[in-house]
Amino acid sequence: MTAHARSRQGRRGLAALVCGALAAGGLAAAGVSALEPGSARASSHREAPLISGQPQYDNTDVYAFVSPDKPDTTTLVANWTPFEEPAGGPNFYPFPEDAQYDIHIDSDGDAQGDLVYRWTFDSKVKNGNTFLYNTGQVTSLDDPDLNFTQTYDIDLLKLKDQKVVSTKKLANNLPVAPSRVGDASMPDYKKLRDQAVRKVAGGGTSYVGQADDPFFLDLQVFDSLYGGDLSQVGDDTLKGYSVNSVALQVPTAEIRQSEKQPTVGVWSTTQRKNAKGDYTQVSRLGNPLVNELVVPLRDKDKFNASSPWNDADFLQYVQKPELARLLEKVYGIKAAPEPRKDLVSVFLTGVKDLNQPPNVRPAEALRLNTSIKPSDDPKRLGVLDGDTAGFPNGRRLADDVVDIELQAVAGELVGNKNDLGDAVDTNDMAFGKTFPYLALPTSPTHAPATKGGGDNTSMRGALGGGAKVQGPSASDGSGGSDAVLIASAAAGAAGVLLVGLGLAWWRARRRGVGGVL
Amino acid sequence: MSVRSAVAAVALALALTSGAVIVSGGGGDSDDGAGRSTPVAVGPAAPLDGLRGGDLDRGVEALRTRLRDQPKDFKSWATLGTAYVEQARTRGDPALYRAADRALDRSLELRPRYDAALAGRAAVAAARHDFRGALRHAEAALAENPYGERALATRIDALVELGRYGAASRAADEADARRPGIPVFTRYAYVRELRGDTATARRVLERALDGATARGDVAYVATALGQLAWRQGEYKTALRRCGAALRADSTYLPALECRARARAARGGRAAAVAGLRDVVGRQPLPGPVVALGELYEAKGDLARAREQYRLVDVWAALARANGVDPDLDTALAEADHGDRAEALRAARAEWGRRRTVHTADALGWALHVNGRDEEALPYARRATATGFKEAAFRYHRGMIERAVGDKEAARGSLASALKLNPGFSPVGAREAREALRSLGGDAS
Repeated sequence: MTAHARSRQGRRGLAALVCGALAAGGLAAAGVSALEPGSARASSHREAPLISGQPQYDNTDVYAFVSPDKPDTTTLVANWTPFEEPAGGPNFYPFPEDAQYDIHIDSDGDAQGDLVYRWTFDSKVKNGNTFLYNTGQVTSLDDPDLNFTQTYDIDLLKLKDQKVVSTKKLANNLPVAPSRVGDASMPDYKKLRDQAVRKVAGGGTSYVGQADDPFFLDLQVFDSLYGGDLSQVGDDTLKGYSVNSVALQVPTAEIRQSEKQPTVGVWSTTQRKNAKGDYTQVSRLGNPLVNELVVPLRDKDKFNASSPWNDADFLQYVQKPELARLLEKVYGIKAAPEPRKDLVSVFLTGVKDLNQPPNVRPAEALRLNTSIKPSDDPKRLGVLDGDTAGFPNGRRLADDVVDIELQAVAGELVGNKNDLGDAVDTNDMAFGKTFPYLALPTSPTHAPATKGGGDNTSMRGALGGGAKVQGPSASDGSGGSDAVLIASAAAGAAGVLLVGLGLAWWRARRRGVGGVL
Repeated sequence: MSVRSAVAAVALALALTSGAVIVSGGGGDSDDGAGRSTPVAVGPAAPLDGLRGGDLDRGVEALRTRLRDQPKDFKSWATLGTAYVEQARTRGDPALYRAADRALDRSLELRPRYDAALAGRAAVAAARHDFRGALRHAEAALAENPYGERALATRIDALVELGRYGAASRAADEADARRPGIPVFTRYAYVRELRGDTATARRVLERALDGATARGDVAYVATALGQLAWRQGEYKTALRRCGAALRADSTYLPALECRARARAARGGRAAAVAGLRDVVGRQPLPGPVVALGELYEAKGDLARAREQYRLVDVWAALARANGVDPDLDTALAEADHGDRAEALRAARAEWGRRRTVHTADALGWALHVNGRDEEALPYARRATATGFKEAAFRYHRGMIERAVGDKEAARGSLASALKLNPGFSPVGAREAREALRSLGGDAS
């Protein structure tokens, strides 16, 4: 649950870049060579920069919940390309054509996917003579002025013993909602998004396009583990940033094993076409933050390449979480006895009598008991607050997973009452009451940075090294108002867990301002 | 130009470079229609900017500030060390490698076997042309984290530079299966190109370009495509690719250099000279310095040409003083334009360290200019044996073949060099044509 935990690859790569250079091997393109020894004829050593931003392959979050307004359906949401910048001029964020975005469903708890929903994308440029995204005002999805358009297909793969036994096309050439590039170009973005919500085969409903990043947390808190001033936490670092989202609402009967066994396991992967032409898994995500929180630094990339079937490899990290011992060491919160069966329930098997399928094989996946009715009064702390329709029973958009996971690791489920959290309790934008529930992306026209001010942390700028970085808050006392530092802290956070320097991205919210417990 | 004034020139160039970097991208020439690196209007915008120029400097400053407060943050130390390597590269200032060493050492003291720091060490070693060290560190990093992207990429680089092409090819396949992405794609493409498979190289680089969104990545990959095209004599394509690179980053030196070379090859000498002067003014690296000198030489301006060739010596002295081994870079420059005995010494030294097509070519050519043609021939053959489509190697081989009296082979080699890339070098191409004519070949 390091902040960047949630970011997994995305923000990690980010942070890497931001920091001025790599984090855990995210620094890409480079073999960093040096002085590029004589190119012409003595081209011995090839120059390669130290940079790379390929966030379109970075899966940042997965959500699965019983649709609040249609309880016989389940909504699946997965996001890619974090930190999409609304400010700083028109930007757009295409979906990759050489990737497969997959959401896997395990209907019987054996840690193998039984169903895979697969999204693939195509791009079209109407006028190849211009680089413009749009050539005039865009008032509909088929507006000729929308110069660059994308479409997507959804295939439903049925698997048995990890082999595909059938493939069914659920959607064919449906339109992707465009990136929101500003009110002058797109005076009514809501209309464009509504047009992009489509029925698909099999009784489902689909949306693919940009959305406000539903995740909320304060990345700055990670800097505080080095002794910064915690009174400054509580700002949603992701405020104003968008993501590329795929959302699909399907009849629950399609994904569950039976009425008697209604719990499904859900995770997402990104497959990318490699040089040879094969698809290789480059990102994997089930429960939020787990990769960074639970999996040690050296195994994070391995985790991204692995499949739940092999998650026994990671079991020990859940049973003996380093974080809990750090909390004890640094902050005196007594660690619960190991092995931590409670955390194995939360992260790997589901909680007994709630969302644990019979004969479950431990694997890192969101587990959703689809028979639990949506809550009329959803609680941000979900199950911890008695609301069994929320995380870790599946994951709703508004679930405060940072606080929930932190409290769980500190032993909330085994009697260690605590109020850990990052002081960001809700998303900055309200979620919708109907599919796709996601909030609209921030318009560049209204983005703070466009107005030359505001408290918006320019994460993207930070990623880029911070040319136009603004402080997360002007009064930030932790080493300058430079988002680079925040990202750096985020990059360092996972390592910190391991090193034992301590972690303090929480504060005792209910005990006053900024107290470190 | 005396050595002293040459040193001054280099120092000035470095200072200018740094200055330009700090004010962010300064001095882009404007004759390409590629705007400056600042906002790229409504084009396919990059979601992430590169860590280039002022951004990189800012990132380094932020890290230093952070580490003053939190000196035990091993990740930030590793990041800083790697950032110094990048600064060294973008500024052409090898003095930063020592700073990189210190930062990476610090990281590893705090966190032994931290894979990112080990990968950083590999990068520094590669930058200093210590390719054995680079390989060792990359493998150490991969032992910790077999999926580390930078270590996977640096391992391929090191194997290539050591001339272990079979192992490099296997490493590229393995990296491609584990961690597809721009860093691996560009290496994968080069490994294939070295074996003469330019079609695969192009295809893979195009795949890399399709996945590139960050401005720096676009510039890097599009330039690689431009250089590949240039080596195959496809100058129009080269100009188009370099134009795309410069639209993404108008200050990207390899793209500026590639464009200048393509222009020179098409006969646009004035534009080429202006372009290379710009490049050399920012970073006096041997490649563009020699290219500029040859352009002067080709039009008869020998004084200016000599000035450029002297710069190579100075750069080499600076590089050596900072622990960078410049022998391969200087061997060819010295052989053609300087001290032939020194060229042979450098080429031998480099051949002793690593046996690649490039070092074979350099040693063969150095032997040739020292009149030892019989000895030179096996090296020239070895340089062309992998199938790598590099006109200069074929030219060198042809000249050596002519010198040993094998006229037919010489005609074949020289003709194929000129057919492949007739603009491979202003001076070399001229000499190749003359030699071919003297052999009765068609040098049109």
